[in-house]
Amino acid sequence: MSITAKINRVTAFFAAIILLSSCEKVFDLPEEKDYLSPNLNYSSKILEPILGRTTISRQGLNTDNSTWPLKFEIVNARWGDGRPVTDLFQTRPVWVWTNEYTGDEKSLEEIQAKRKLEDHPLFEVRESGEFILWASSNNDLITPRAADSSNLPQNTRYFDVKVTNTGGSVVLKDFQIRPFRERPYFPSNDKNDFTGGDAPDPKFRNNTFKKDFIRPGLSGVIGKTSNKELVSNDDVKDVVVFIRPFTGGNGHNLRIKAIDKNDVAINPSKFNETRWTTMLHAFNMVKTNEYVQYDVAYPIPLTARRTNYSDGNTARVALQYSRLVFGGARNTATLSLNFAIFREGDWEIVFKFLTDDPKFEDD
Amino acid sequence: MKRTFPYIITLIACLGCFSIYAQSVVRVTGTVVEKEGRGTLPGVTIATGTPPKTIGNTSINGTFTINVAPEATLVFSYVGFVTQTVKLKPNQTTVNVYMESDKRSLQEVVIRGYQKRSKEITTGASTTIGEKAIQDVPVSNVEQLLQGKVAGLNIQVNTGAPGFRGSIQIRGLSSLSVTGSGSDSYLQQQSPLYIIDGVPLDADKASEFGFQTQGPGISPTSLIPPEDIQSIEILKDAQATSLYGSRGAYGVIIITTKRGNSVVPRVRYSTQAFVNSPPKLRETIGGNAERQLKIQQILKNKLSEADLNRLGYTPFISDSLNAYFNNSVDWQSVFYQTTYNQTHNIAIDGGNQTFNYKTNLGYYTEKGVIKNTGFDRYSVNMNMEYKPNNKFRFFGALFGAVGEQSKGDGVGLLQKGVARNGQASSLLPPPSFYQATSSVVSALKTANNNNSRNLRANVEGRYEFVPGLALSSNVSYDYTSDTEDSFRPAAANNQFASVYGFTGRNYTLYNRNNLSYAKNFGSHEIFINAFNEIYKKARQANVMRQEKTANDQLQGPVGYDAYFSRGGGVLDNYRDERIASFAGAFSYNFKKKYIVDLSYRLDGTSLSGMENPYSKNPSVGLRWNFSKEDWMQNLKWLDNAGLRLSWGKNISPNGNLQSIYGLYNVNGSYNNNPSIGVDYDQIPNPRLKPTTTVQYNLGFDASLFNSRFEVNFDTYFKQVENMLIDRPLANITGFNKVVSNDAAIANYGYELALTVRPFKPGKNWNFSLSANGALNRDVLTKLPLEQYGQFIKFDEDARFLQHLVYRVGRNTLSNYLRVNQGTYATDADVPVDPVTGLKYRTGGRFFEAGDPNLKDVNGDYILDGVDYEISGNSQPLFTGGLSTNITYKNWGLNVYASYTAKRTILNNALSDRLAIMRDPFALTSVVPLENLNIWTQAGDIAKYPNPYDYARYDAIQPFRKDQTLWAEEGSYFKVNSFTLSYAFNKEAIRKIGLYNLRVHFTANNLTTFSSYSGPNPENVNSLGRDNSDGYPVPRTFSIGLNMELNSGK
Repeated sequence: MSITAKINRVTAFFAAIILLSSCEKVFDLPEEKDYLSPNLNYSSKILEPILGRTTISRQGLNTDNSTWPLKFEIVNARWGDGRPVTDLFQTRPVWVWTNEYTGDEKSLEEIQAKRKLEDHPLFEVRESGEFILWASSNNDLITPRAADSSNLPQNTRYFDVKVTNTGGSVVLKDFQIRPFRERPYFPSNDKNDFTGGDAPDPKFRNNTFKKDFIRPGLSGVIGKTSNKELVSNDDVKDVVVFIRPFTGGNGHNLRIKAIDKNDVAINPSKFNETRWTTMLHAFNMVKTNEYVQYDVAYPIPLTARRTNYSDGNTARVALQYSRLVFGGARNTATLSLNFAIFREGDWEIVFKFLTDDPKFEDD
Repeated sequence: MKRTFPYIITLIACLGCFSIYAQSVVRVTGTVVEKEGRGTLPGVTIATGTPPKTIGNTSINGTFTINVAPEATLVFSYVGFVTQTVKLKPNQTTVNVYMESDKRSLQEVVIRGYQKRSKEITTGASTTIGEKAIQDVPVSNVEQLLQGKVAGLNIQVNTGAPGFRGSIQIRGLSSLSVTGSGSDSYLQQQSPLYIIDGVPLDADKASEFGFQTQGPGISPTSLIPPEDIQSIEILKDAQATSLYGSRGAYGVIIITTKRGNSVVPRVRYSTQAFVNSPPKLRETIGGNAERQLKIQQILKNKLSEADLNRLGYTPFISDSLNAYFNNSVDWQSVFYQTTYNQTHNIAIDGGNQTFNYKTNLGYYTEKGVIKNTGFDRYSVNMNMEYKPNNKFRFFGALFGAVGEQSKGDGVGLLQKGVARNGQASSLLPPPSFYQATSSVVSALKTANNNNSRNLRANVEGRYEFVPGLALSSNVSYDYTSDTEDSFRPAAANNQFASVYGFTGRNYTLYNRNNLSYAKNFGSHEIFINAFNEIYKKARQANVMRQEKTANDQLQGPVGYDAYFSRGGGVLDNYRDERIASFAGAFSYNFKKKYIVDLSYRLDGTSLSGMENPYSKNPSVGLRWNFSKEDWMQNLKWLDNAGLRLSWGKNISPNGNLQSIYGLYNVNGSYNNNPSIGVDYDQIPNPRLKPTTTVQYNLGFDASLFNSRFEVNFDTYFKQVENMLIDRPLANITGFNKVVSNDAAIANYGYELALTVRPFKPGKNWNFSLSANGALNRDVLTKLPLEQYGQFIKFDEDARFLQHLVYRVGRNTLSNYLRVNQGTYATDADVPVDPVTGLKYRTGGRFFEAGDPNLKDVNGDYILDGVDYEISGNSQPLFTGGLSTNITYKNWGLNVYASYTAKRTILNNALSDRLAIMRDPFALTSVVPLENLNIWTQAGDIAKYPNPYDYARYDAIQPFRKDQTLWAEEGSYFKVNSFTLSYAFNKEAIRKIGLYNLRVHFTANNLTTFSSYSGPNPENVNSLGRDNSDGYPVPRTFSIGLNMELNSGK
């Protein structure tokens, strides 16, 4: 046997050792897979969002430490009688934030630079497993739930959610979405949640002639003739508020006005202590004898962040004036309202004196 | 008598000869002994004549009987040993031959199933370490000395606490059981089985409570003086360990202590004086600099006027002229110290093949680098062997040791009190005669006294009925008594002294009966061995605790007030177990070229469920010494080479009485009678099985160029099955959980050991360089069915939340952490939720510049309990070591190094260090952070978040421990020890009555090279958590002396 042949044999040994040992496949070890927990589920499967507002809801999603990223898909959307549901998934442009709204923006343009329009299905589930009903939805695009407050299966939209990662997939079944019709502003106690018509007076629910009103906060507002402090509660409504659209604006106007019991506009200048410029995050204030008008960015408030103009949920308008009262003290009266407006448009907030006008004069 | 004895033997022998043989033949008997190891050598070839003709072999115990011509020349040859030639003197019929090994590793004698065998014909994977490799370094636990010396043996010296053990693993992970939480999470060790002079020993004895050590916590391996060790053999694969059965699943370490063998009694003395110095401690800013830093931190980061006012109300910062607060105290120096220690060892031995004896007396004392801690060891080890003839042998050994230890007010491995106090503000006054804080008193004045007393007796008898057929029996008894007494003085404990007491006892009675038969049929050799083993083990420990004793002077008896008694009783490590095993082995070889080993073992253990206490453990080993093939004979450069292949199964009983039979408590009374009921936490599992390993091993050994180059390569695949795991139960069962066997892991890897001797062994120069390395991967292969492939062990400690995740198909112990992606350089870098317009937030606060960028795993722009990901591997991938031994004339230089690579460490120590800044109003020290890449101003691309923003700290928790910011690569290369020695010339020292004199200088734990940002990447727990409460590993410098008295003529 030649030397080379021997060397070849020796090499063959080493080769055999390395081949045998380096082939990890022979061990037949299990492959690592993403974990998809059998307990992955939503604790609440009924969604009752309000149309026209961007609503994001987690619905008690518990992923039980399943491995992210998880892919969530809405599948098999259908009515209770089996008809497919498509209206939820119409695509419409909607504002999405690209930067943080802080409340320190100096102009409308600066605010608008922080968000952009994007096309989104009206209803979708995002990568985090949260459901989003975008503000682009409205009563026309999506039929709201029945006005008689019934929940018949044939009138209810059902859908399933398919959750996938590399470890497999699971279909979570029978979610229901029962959207409420739009409530474009808050407080919306003047409207019925189901019908959109006038809400009955809470004291006389069966009396269709008495309706409920948005009530302002009143402090130290004295009636001109009664000389009593005006109140607004379930029993007595000296002052109410209307939040209503007006025509003739530029599409993103907000007006504040007050009208007396004779439906005559009160000059805003009478509310001499009002902080017109810092009360709202609004620009281009126009003050007339009838109203004060601003350019604003809708919705109000823009985000849930606490700012100088928002407590996270509502903005606040407060009309204030002061007068000297008996004894020479100066009394400041306030008419206020915490409000939100969700639908973009020209809106006015009207403080309406029903029974008596406010007393601006000194005693 | 001694002198006449051989003559009588000769006479008898001659008388016998006359009748049978012609006058020209004499019957010669004798024993072949290994010169250094003092053990007998089986299978030595005996030849005579020219050319030499083989006339016999030594028996399994090294004896031989041959018939040769009178005054013949006998040649004793044996692989791995220098051939010895003996010329018989006239009428000589007894020959004792001492054979010297020629330092070739492949030809060592190894121990397999309690039997000595030539390594050349073993089929299993093992490594032997001689005494030279473990001498000269003063350590309290001999395991430390094995670090980096054996491929596949992963030892981490992860505590510097004197008398405690680090972690040890052979071929990867062996346990899933994690106790404790946070940095105190403790991976329950499953140590290899230790066999000391044939007696099995439970090295895990003291560690069953993890970090919460109860009692002394002195490991039995800490009680063995390293000076007395002759050799240590590490058995790695299933074939090698197959005959050790229970506990053999995690490998076997065989320690052989020295035997007496010198006709002239030898008296040897060795001593070392050593200095332990604490490692570099945490840098701290002291005095006025601390005050100024705190003031600036408050002024720059306050959120409200109230914060500013608070500065004024905090006198230790604002009242700089107050003498009480006008200090600059180095608190760490109050607790840490440099210590001076010593060790002494005297060994007396003597005797010959017929009778020999050995006594070793050892003393070791080490004061800890943390004050009020330390370890003392007193040991005596005696053995004797009586072998009046070739048929009968009797061996007796007695080992006694006392370990004394003080843990201060810590629990041994952890020194929480010291760690906390070491962080005290430098502005506080130092402890003095007049005053000291209670925590300082607690750390320094707690009288903690631990004793571990170990007594081990071992007798062994052997009788050879006919040549080759021998019966031997071994009985050993190992008893340990442990006590701990801890007295905390009143000043340290809310004005009332308290007492804690622990007593424990522990014994193992062991018996082994062995019948073996060895026979050569020309080229065929067979060896049959059958034995049974019986263990009886028991353990019980009691504690008692009394709060509020009368005063500091009355330290006991303390039973004066039941109201303040905190009770005690038997600890749940109680056990009473039996193991009965039966084993058989068959070994065959043809010309030492083809070797087959078969073994079978039946293990019955009381720690398995009563439904199936027996487990069957077979093994097969094959070896092919291909260098002995004819076609290899011409390769002069190849000394020997062989291939090994083995498969085998082994068990380790892991259950305990509670997991099999349940726990029963006295719970209330019924009809005025106390009632006993089962504990509903854990349902008994009568089907519990022992953990089983099934291992395949493929090995290759070769020695080239006359042993100038040696290589060992092994690759293995080890399945560890039936591992214990808790399975939660549905509440309809009434129980919470069951301990089941439904977890399994697999380890596979490669081990390579190389030795190079670049120079021809000359008279003056000797140089050898060894390197070894092991790559081990572990993969979790099974979890209980209901866990669908993932189980998260949540960390219950809210300060840590460093969860562990077990996922099938992945490395077994992964971390489950928040993923840190850096630090937000500016506010604009914080992402905004496009839907809500809100910034990424946590705890009700938005992230800002300088906050950690923690990955929003689920994409909801909120950092919450979902945002965790699996990452890292706490177990090292590579381990190994380097060693070099150089001798020149009388000088010697040994350097040992070890390395560990590719493991994830969670640097909790750094997290603690940065988090010190979280509250400038607290009486804690401040640390310099300039050397860290921290965020200080907008635009900084930094690794670490802003530590000074104390006002938002609680919401953001920038230094939360459950993030990958602390996950660092824990690779290191450590120079374990460096020894320079000088042996005096024998002629010169003879004048002063010495036979040998050697001095040496050793530095231990010399330096560690690592990219790790913490102090020591090794001083982390076995889950890779660097705990700032841990005990630092000191650096040791020692000067030693070995001498042997000239007790001869």
